[in-house]
Amino acid sequence: MASIGEIVDQTPSAEVLSRARQRAILVPDCMVEARRIANTVIAGWHGRRKRGIGENFWQFRPYADGESLARIDWRRSARDDHTYIRDKEWEAAHTVWLWADMSPSMMYKSTYAAVSKESRALVLMLALAEVLARSGERIGCPGIMEPVSARNAAERLATALVHAPPSTGLPQTEMIRGASDIVLIGDFLDDADRIMQRVAPLARRGLRGHVIEVADPAEEIFPYSGRTEFTDPETGEKLVSGRAESVREIYRNAYLARRENLGQSLRRMGWSFIVHRTDHLASEALGAVHGYLSGNPPRIVPNASSGVGAGANV
Amino acid sequence: MSGFAFASPTILFALIALPAIWWLLRLTPPRPRSEVFPPLRILATVLKREETPAQSPWWLTLLRILLAAAVILAIADPVINPRSNPLASGGPLVLIVDNSWASAEDWERRVQTADLMISDAAEAEIPVSLVFTAEATHDAVPASATVAREHLAAARPKPLVPDRLRAARAVTEALNGTQPGTLAYLSDGIATPADGDMLTALASLSPRDMQLIEGDGQKSLAVTGATNNAAAMSVNATRLKTEGAQNFSVNALDQQGRSLATGTLDFAAGANTATATINAPFELRNDFARLSVEGIATAGATHLLDDGFKRRRIALLSGDSGNDFQPLLLPLYYISRALEPYADLIQPRGGDLAASLREILTSNPSAIVMADVGRLPEESYAPLQQWLNRGGTLIRFAGPRLAAAPADDPLVPVRLRQGERALGGAMSWADPQPLAAFPNFGPFAGMAPPADITVRRQVLAEPTPDLNERTWASLADGTPLVTTREVEAGRIILFHVSADATWSNLPISGNFVEMLRRLVQLSRAGGAAPPEAGATAAALPPYRLLTADGILSTEVGSARPLAIKVGATPIASLDNPPGLYGSEEGFTAVNLLAPNATLSPFDPSSAVFPIVRQGLAGGEAWSLRPLLFAAAFFMLLVDTLIVLFMNGGFARLPRAGRAAAMLAVFAGAIAFAQPGDAHAQTPPAPPAQSAPAQSAPDPNAPIEHAKPGDDTILERLDTTHLAYVITGEGDVDRISEQGLDGLSQFMTYRTTLEPGAPVGVDITKDELSFYPIIYWPVSATAPMPSAAAISRIDAYMRSGGTVLFDTRDQFSSLDSGGTSPNGERLQAILANIDIPPLEPTPSDHVLARSFYLLNNFPGRYNGSPLWVEARQDARNQGTGLSSSGDGVTPILITGNDFAGAWAVDAQGNSVLPTVPPDDMQREHAFRSGVNIMMYMLTGNYKADQVHVPALLERLGQ
Repeated sequence: MASIGEIVDQTPSAEVLSRARQRAILVPDCMVEARRIANTVIAGWHGRRKRGIGENFWQFRPYADGESLARIDWRRSARDDHTYIRDKEWEAAHTVWLWADMSPSMMYKSTYAAVSKESRALVLMLALAEVLARSGERIGCPGIMEPVSARNAAERLATALVHAPPSTGLPQTEMIRGASDIVLIGDFLDDADRIMQRVAPLARRGLRGHVIEVADPAEEIFPYSGRTEFTDPETGEKLVSGRAESVREIYRNAYLARRENLGQSLRRMGWSFIVHRTDHLASEALGAVHGYLSGNPPRIVPNASSGVGAGANV
Repeated sequence: MSGFAFASPTILFALIALPAIWWLLRLTPPRPRSEVFPPLRILATVLKREETPAQSPWWLTLLRILLAAAVILAIADPVINPRSNPLASGGPLVLIVDNSWASAEDWERRVQTADLMISDAAEAEIPVSLVFTAEATHDAVPASATVAREHLAAARPKPLVPDRLRAARAVTEALNGTQPGTLAYLSDGIATPADGDMLTALASLSPRDMQLIEGDGQKSLAVTGATNNAAAMSVNATRLKTEGAQNFSVNALDQQGRSLATGTLDFAAGANTATATINAPFELRNDFARLSVEGIATAGATHLLDDGFKRRRIALLSGDSGNDFQPLLLPLYYISRALEPYADLIQPRGGDLAASLREILTSNPSAIVMADVGRLPEESYAPLQQWLNRGGTLIRFAGPRLAAAPADDPLVPVRLRQGERALGGAMSWADPQPLAAFPNFGPFAGMAPPADITVRRQVLAEPTPDLNERTWASLADGTPLVTTREVEAGRIILFHVSADATWSNLPISGNFVEMLRRLVQLSRAGGAAPPEAGATAAALPPYRLLTADGILSTEVGSARPLAIKVGATPIASLDNPPGLYGSEEGFTAVNLLAPNATLSPFDPSSAVFPIVRQGLAGGEAWSLRPLLFAAAFFMLLVDTLIVLFMNGGFARLPRAGRAAAMLAVFAGAIAFAQPGDAHAQTPPAPPAQSAPAQSAPDPNAPIEHAKPGDDTILERLDTTHLAYVITGEGDVDRISEQGLDGLSQFMTYRTTLEPGAPVGVDITKDELSFYPIIYWPVSATAPMPSAAAISRIDAYMRSGGTVLFDTRDQFSSLDSGGTSPNGERLQAILANIDIPPLEPTPSDHVLARSFYLLNNFPGRYNGSPLWVEARQDARNQGTGLSSSGDGVTPILITGNDFAGAWAVDAQGNSVLPTVPPDDMQREHAFRSGVNIMMYMLTGNYKADQVHVPALLERLGQ
């Protein structure tokens, strides 16, 4: 009998990129909610609701002496006896950090899913990069790529990933400065406490985070039965179960409890937590994170079975 | 005879390896399935460290050890009851085989036994002398085992009693003093009178060893006779083994082998004869063709009956000799007409009643019919009475003479009143009486009640208490019409009406024939019982012979005609094997055993030397190998299931499916565990089954194979061809072809239509649908087309084709003044075709304007109108024959001989002159042809042109 799960090779970036683009096409432009956008001078598309450097009209106001004559809007001023100046809205860019877990456990793919977790995570990451770059946001990858604001940010991210050293665990946070958003994609199978230890400093620094847990269906429903030897792909540890079906319920409870625990801890910090299974469409998770990023958290829970991920920002 | 042996015992040494297998199996536990599992850490928190068995459970190991042992044992091929009868060496093996009727049931086993002995002989290189006791010729010369085996394979059981003495003598003769080694006698176990002599003859050979091999004889059972009693048929049978009570059912079969009735043979313990009674109405009993004991397929268990199928000899006797030139007034006329089809009639020549009766009685008829014989000569009563007592049937008809005869006639069934009773006469109040329904007993039971028979006159029976039960048919008022009385073995039947049509219309009704037929069936086929034996002898050819399996076959082989001696029951012999002799109309049955024969066991005690008795081989030596293999396979299956279960193979299935799968697997295991049964229950798929599937046409499949004639069809479709009917008369057909050729040339010059060469069609088989019009020169001298051909023409016309009939008789009808022969032929042809009403072409018909403007349509002759379908009113359009042809008439009839006018030879010159010789008329004939063709091809398109002026006028407004 063929085994249910397997460890697959790392997915080539080019393929992931093309798939990510397909996903990105389906998602509208994403303007990161500008509530707490860093007060930077980098021009972007986030209207700051105040006058500044930008393209869009903000207001007419009377001319004050000392201002450049060139800024007078003669057409408006001709209407009455006052002289007006046309103000533009200050538009700034926002930085979004994207990070995907590339550890060996992410290479896992079961017969229940079409792709490995790593593949799905990369697709989500690049698709987000594509969508955000389309909206003019700055895309960065902690430890791999400095934030760039470019239309081809997704491609550059893909290229950077190819050359990146294999990473394990959680992202290096040295690069991250200032208020920005960070999207973490991984399976988060480690201890919730350990994860929180790494994540909490980021939150304290004012980063807004979105965590997407990519899970394989086999990990969640535990379809194994009979005498089975389980191997950890990261540590190589082995565990033999005489009748695997007998521990299914207990395992499931433990697995879901871990997830609930993690989700609650993250939400307490104000971060959002999205659960995504690889047998579902990537667009689901993409849509959910899109909603969180643009300040419209999805009302409908995408994965009813997980029971988490809703109302993170409320 | 019982025992246990291994065919190849050396294999058993492999059993030593079993402990090693045990050790190996204990060492290797079932391998777990390996799974990669990233959330192992989570799993590790919940998973208690289980006791993983390092070794297989002991019972699984035991099962596997048993499996291995079963395989080793099966390879060693254990055999229960191994056959062991050594042949004595030092002389040829003499094998005497009974291939008599009683050996048919277990013939295969007998052949097997003999074959084994021959094999032993072949191993020992001993020649074999093989004889069969029921064969006509014996070849007992010792031969090689191969030859003997061929003889054995060719031998079949015969439906005969063995002739053992002859076989023994043949052996003695063939051995010619050589002392045989083993003398084996495969006996059927039934004693014959010559057994003692045979044993003596065999003893004189002084064999070194003598073996008597017998079957169990449980099915050695023979039907020895059947007699038809008043109410039932009783069947006698005898059996060989008398210990134990046995039940057999006897089926009575008709000629087609259908079972009509069944009786039961109850053999009491110790009895070797039994009698079965088959209860059936005698009409049914007359249909009995043979009796067969169910479950035993031997010639002995089948008894052929001939009584019901024998042609009866029936003598006719009339009171007045009558005159031959008024036969309808003779009473015997109706009787002989009714009986002729199924009886041999004897009509004495002389008028003298006494002499006639003597003559009749010497031929011993089944029945004598007396029509209106009042009183017989005194000396005739005694022989007639004797004949009746022996079983004759006397059928009498009333008449004026009988009515006037004295009442004490001993040869009437009931006491008659003097004189007759007339009904419905001028002076009578009573109406002529119809017949009442037939009573449900007697031979007429079940016949439809006659409705149209009236009796005007009859003789009356004196009422007696038993009159009712003697009456087989009566009138509506209850007076008897047919009465009967049994006289010892015989029977007298009286019709109370005359045999001619004067007293009633019974003799001229169909019921009369049926009633007489039934009465004749009732009579004994063999006539009255024989007064003396050997009166006549006739040779009957074999008709159907019984095989040893008790089946009738038409294979008559070397059977000789049967010489019948009157009174002697024919006995089956080598020349006359059991079967039916005669012909389809009537036959005599020859059965295997004489009536009242009994079967007794073969008794070798009279032999003067020791005899080893043993049973047949085959089936007793029983190999355990298939059983062991099946057990091993079953254990393998169970082992697989257990391993699958232990590895959780079933846990993956949904719960309902799991149960179903387990059930299916176990059912399969049980089915495999009984391989023999399973095979018996699955008959081999008939090979024919796949044939229709292959030949079924696939509608999507492209037509790959061009058929012969396709090119012709394509050519016909590419070009328009004119066609004519081949009448079979050379000159007519030649003119037709030349005429259509001429018309084709004319059209090619003058019109855009360029037809191909004219085609002659055979309306009986050629495809007609390629041609828009078919020219049919009607010729009275040509053979009349068949009805099928005419119906094809009809179909052609219905599907839109047009036939141009040309009677070519415009002027010939003038001389005869009526219809010409060609016209009559046309009428005959059209008689079976539903043709529409016709009219001469009106001047405004499309035909007159479809190309040229024409007033008439001349051919070689001028003046005959061109008949077309009458144009119908608008409301009738769309109905009738012409609807399919877009208003084009399906039929054109002319007498002007178009083809004659159109005919041109190879040089383009006209073949026939027009009448009168007028070139303009020929030109008009061509124009007629062109118009007809244009009309055919364009339909009523030209008719629309008629409305052009009106259309133009309307447009102008």
